[in-house]
Amino acid sequence: MNWIGLLMLRNDRAKFGAMIVAVALAVFLMQNQAAILSSILLMTASQIRDVEDANLWVTEPDVECFDQAKPVRDIALHQVRGTPGVAWAMPLLKIDTIARTRGGKLSTVSVLGVEDSSLVGLPRRMRLGSAEAIRERDTVLIDPGGFSLLFPGEPPSLGKTLRIHNRTLKVVGISDASPPFTGLPLLHTSRTTAAQLNVGEERSTTFILARSVAGADPIEVCRRIAGRTRLRARTTDGFARDAMWFYGSQGVPMLFMVTIAIGLVVGAAITGQTFLMFVKENARPIAMLKVVGTTHAQLGWMMAAQAGLILFLGSCMGSGLAAVVCEAVRQQPFLRGLYLPSWVALSTCLSLAVVTGGAVFLSFRQVQRLEPASVFR
Amino acid sequence: MNPDPTTQDHKRIAVRCTGVTKHFGEGEARTEVLRGVEFTADLGKLTFIVGPSGCGKTTLISLIAGLLSPSAGTVEVFGRATTDLSPGEQTLFRRHNLGFVFQQYNLLAALNAVQNAAVPLLTAGIPRREALRRAGEVLDRLGLGKRLDAYPRELSGGQQQRVALARALIHEPRLIICDEPTAALDHTTGEAVMSLLASTAVHPDRAVVVVTHDTRVFHFADRIAHMDDGRIVSWEAREPGADSLHPVPSPPSTP
Repeated sequence: MNWIGLLMLRNDRAKFGAMIVAVALAVFLMQNQAAILSSILLMTASQIRDVEDANLWVTEPDVECFDQAKPVRDIALHQVRGTPGVAWAMPLLKIDTIARTRGGKLSTVSVLGVEDSSLVGLPRRMRLGSAEAIRERDTVLIDPGGFSLLFPGEPPSLGKTLRIHNRTLKVVGISDASPPFTGLPLLHTSRTTAAQLNVGEERSTTFILARSVAGADPIEVCRRIAGRTRLRARTTDGFARDAMWFYGSQGVPMLFMVTIAIGLVVGAAITGQTFLMFVKENARPIAMLKVVGTTHAQLGWMMAAQAGLILFLGSCMGSGLAAVVCEAVRQQPFLRGLYLPSWVALSTCLSLAVVTGGAVFLSFRQVQRLEPASVFR
Repeated sequence: MNPDPTTQDHKRIAVRCTGVTKHFGEGEARTEVLRGVEFTADLGKLTFIVGPSGCGKTTLISLIAGLLSPSAGTVEVFGRATTDLSPGEQTLFRRHNLGFVFQQYNLLAALNAVQNAAVPLLTAGIPRREALRRAGEVLDRLGLGKRLDAYPRELSGGQQQRVALARALIHEPRLIICDEPTAALDHTTGEAVMSLLASTAVHPDRAVVVVTHDTRVFHFADRIAHMDDGRIVSWEAREPGADSLHPVPSPPSTP
C-alpha cells in the first residue's frame, strides 16, 4: 500500500515538488541560522578550548568569559602551584591594544602572552612558520583572520611587522588558532614581550593555566584552588560553558531562535497545507481505496510513507544547501569558525519532521472522516 | 413473508435486505431515501436494480456494501448481518467478499492498468510481484493483455471500465456491486462491457448486483428489481432457458 501512496505522490508532481522545496528551504533556513548561532556560541569559548595542555583555568572571581581580561595577583600563581593535586601552573597574559602596520592599517588586536619557557597556551597547529620562533623577543604569531585584516590582499607570509606602543613586532608564524568571538586579530607572543606592550599595568597575569595531577579529580582540585586563592578555578569545559552561557544570555541568540522558529513554522505550515490539499484532491481515490477494503491503519502508513519521503528528500536538499553555503562562507578567514554541527543538522530535520508530522496527522483525520460511499456520487 | 417472489432457493441468497429504511438529516432537513426496502440477490445471478434518478438505488448498494448504515431494517450478506459488524470488520468483510465497478471507473491516475487491477490484492497484503502477475492474467482474459502498462488517461472509456472490472474480479469476491457501469459509455462499448461482465463475473458461487437506468442493457439481467421513491415496486425474472424477462407480482413492502 505504501508503494501505491508513493506512486500517487509522484503523480502529482507540482505538489510533490512544492512540498519538497518547502521542506528544503525550511531546513536550509533553520540549519543556516542554527549553524551561525552555535558557531558564535562556540567561538566565545574557542580560545579556551584551544589551550589543550592545561585542563584548569584560574581567574578573578567575577570573570565569566575569555574576553573579560581582568588581571590576577602575581602571588596567586605560586598559591595555585602549591595546591595539592596541581601538577603545574603557568601564567597567561591577555591584553587588548591597537596595532598598526607599516602600510598604516590600524586595528585593535588581542595579544596573548604565554609563559616564555614552557609556551603553555600556544595553539598546537600552525599554518606557516614555527610556534617556537616566539622565544625570540618582539616576535608574534598571528591568526589567519588577523593576517588578512591587517594585510589585506596579501598572501600569508612571514616577516611582516606591526607597531604596538612604539615597539616593532615581527610576524614569525601564522597559527591555526580558532577564530575569536570578537573577530579581532589574535597575536600570540611570549609573556615577556606581551608585558612590554601592556603599558600602564603592573600585573602581568590574566589567567592561570594549570594541570591537575593524573588521577586527581579536576573539580575537587578547582575547589581546593578556590579555597586557597579566593580566585575562581574551573575546568576547561566549565569555563567554556560559562563563557557560552554568558554570551548566550545576552539576547542575541533570541533573535536567531526567532528566525529558526519562523523557518520551522513556515516550512511546516506550507508542507502541511500542501499535504492537506493533496489529500483533499485525492479524496475520491482514497474513498475508493476505503471501499475496496483498505483499513485506516493502512492509509495511515501510506500517508506516513508519503510524508517520510517528502521530509527525507527535502531534508537532504536543505541540508546539502546549508552545508554548501556554510562551506563557501568558511572560506572567509574571519568566518572560519562557522560550521554546521551534525547535531544541528539532525535536530533541525527532526524538529521539522515532528511539526510536519502533526500537520500530516491532521490530514489523516480528514481521511478517517472521509465517507467511502462518496465514491458512488 | 418472502420479500422477493422471484427467489426460488433460499440457500442461494447472497444478499437479503429486510425492511430497510434510510434517511439523511434531521428535522426539516430530513430526507427519506429508502422506505422499507425488501430485496434479495441470488448467487449465480445477475440482478439489476433499476429506476429513475434519485429513487435510492445508490443508497441501497451503499447499504449492501456496508458503506452506510440503515436507519432501520437489516442487511444480510452471505448470511451475516453487516449492520452488526464494526466499521473495521465491515472493511475487512468488503476486502474479502466484495468487488466494485463504478460509473466513473475510479481508477487511480497514478497507477497503470495492471497496477490498478492489482489494488485489492495489494490491500490484502499479497506481495507486489504476485499481485501484478495475477492482475496481468486477469487483464489478459479481459482483452487488455497488450495495455498492461497504459495509464488511465491513455485508455478509452471501455478499456478503463475493463480495468475496473479486472479490479473487481481479481480477488475472486462472492459479490460484485456495479454502479451504473455503462452510463459513461456509448451503446456499443456499454454492450461489450456488460457482455464481458456477464461472461466473466457471473459464477455459480457469486452474485452480481448492477445498478443502472440504462435500458439498453436490461436484457443481460437474470432478475430486475424496479425501484421508485425509495421502494422496490416490482420484479422481473427470466425463466430458465427463456430469452426474455417476465414480470412477477411484488408483495407490499414494509412501510
